[in-house]
Amino acid sequence: MEAAAPQGFRQRLQQLPRGFIYLLMALVVVWQLLFPLPMPISPSATTKGVYDAINKVPPGKLIVISADWDASTEAETGPQMTAIMHACFRAKKPFALLTLSPPAGAKLANDRAVAVAEQYGAKYGVNWCNWGYKYGYENIVMSLAKNIPATLKSDFHGDPISALPMMTGVKDYRDLGLVIEVTGLANVTEIWLGFLRGPFGTPLAAGYTAVMAPGYYPFVDSHQMAGMLVGAKGAAEMEALVEHPGDATRIMNVQSWAHLLIIALIVVGNLGYLLARGGGRR
Amino acid sequence: MNPEVWIIWAAAIATLGVYGILYRENPVSRLFEHIFVGLSAGYFLAITWTQNLEAKWWTPMVSERHWTWIFAPIIGLLFYFIYSRRFLWMARLVMGLFFGVAAGQFFREFFPLYWPQVYASLKPLRAHPKVGEVTALGWGDVILHNWVFVVILLTVMSYFIFSVPHEGKAGRALGKSALMGRWFLMIAFGAMFGNTVMARISLFIGRVQFLLQDWLGHYVHWLAQRGM
Repeated sequence: MEAAAPQGFRQRLQQLPRGFIYLLMALVVVWQLLFPLPMPISPSATTKGVYDAINKVPPGKLIVISADWDASTEAETGPQMTAIMHACFRAKKPFALLTLSPPAGAKLANDRAVAVAEQYGAKYGVNWCNWGYKYGYENIVMSLAKNIPATLKSDFHGDPISALPMMTGVKDYRDLGLVIEVTGLANVTEIWLGFLRGPFGTPLAAGYTAVMAPGYYPFVDSHQMAGMLVGAKGAAEMEALVEHPGDATRIMNVQSWAHLLIIALIVVGNLGYLLARGGGRR
Repeated sequence: MNPEVWIIWAAAIATLGVYGILYRENPVSRLFEHIFVGLSAGYFLAITWTQNLEAKWWTPMVSERHWTWIFAPIIGLLFYFIYSRRFLWMARLVMGLFFGVAAGQFFREFFPLYWPQVYASLKPLRAHPKVGEVTALGWGDVILHNWVFVVILLTVMSYFIFSVPHEGKAGRALGKSALMGRWFLMIAFGAMFGNTVMARISLFIGRVQFLLQDWLGHYVHWLAQRGM
């Protein structure tokens, strides 16, 4: 019986109850949200690429921010969107929101734009606008490249797109200075790359959920994309660049401690495995 | 009561209800899952009408008298002949049309998407001075970036050569290269998995932040004092 007790302990180290791990994680998250111990945030090259691309947009050209996300990824894509809008307003670059999919992106991005625009005294239709949710994926992008007003017809509020002052003279791809794709969906960036960036050379940047970001590094390396924001980390780096710490900065503080917990749990699990193996050999 | 408060309460209850799945499979989390699916489907229908069909189809057809738009839904409805043996050929007509369009679009998308990748893989493997627009490349950059890139590219590609047995001198060399490629792939998968963990935790933090800040922070003065 005495020999069985330490073996049980080693086994338990490898098989911590799921509920116990969830509880620990929840405690760490709540602790760091209430009593934050800030960690330094230094912008990466991919984030700087997005920031520089926004600042390099020539006067008179429009930035299109493709808001292809919804509530399921808002913790990452939402702060990315807000930080990108801050960068646009600070650089005095007009932007238009567009949603290819999912439909809820149009409303969620609009709410964020209204809140950020208020801080800069920016006006709808002059400094920014929302083209709304346009169904059609490739067809929409191909059509936008040739004739923007005819493709859109109306904005998010149902008003004619031609009634917006900032859309005066905006005709086709030549009037677009940058497209920023913010998404939690795979295969939407490929549409912009294949039907706009590739054939017409319009610069492209992106913001992705951390899950999908590794798959898009090759496009940054090949200069097909000017840069990208990687999850909440990318959003926090952008917030640092626009000197406007927000939700992502807070999330990343918590994130760092949550990662330390996961690393500790991995070490504990492996320690249990090594102890059990060592015990078995004896 | 302010409608905003109702919305926050509904969102908080839905969040807690869905997280109930962490305890075990239960009817409450199922209920909120179904509510979410129903809401998404309803929202999709409504916004597709208000943002797309109304402006691009209904208004031109009814108000501007472009009556030919009536054929658009008729062509779309041909899909439903898939349920009829007699008129299946009509469904095939419209499917063929869509297959053709999709194949053509894919073909057009493929080259601008992947050709620059091939071009970008041809990297200089020795240092060179600045020439015109091309930035000077030091040995540090070359070894750190380009050599590492090229070695990983070639070894990973060699892993996917399955038609050559790893026997004989050349075969064994290919085997070693493939093994290295396999290790590099494992490192890449590890990085992807790490990012996945980061993404999932971000989403969890986002929900906890909502519960503390927007929901409880509204009522608990101490939370509001802590910036919640």
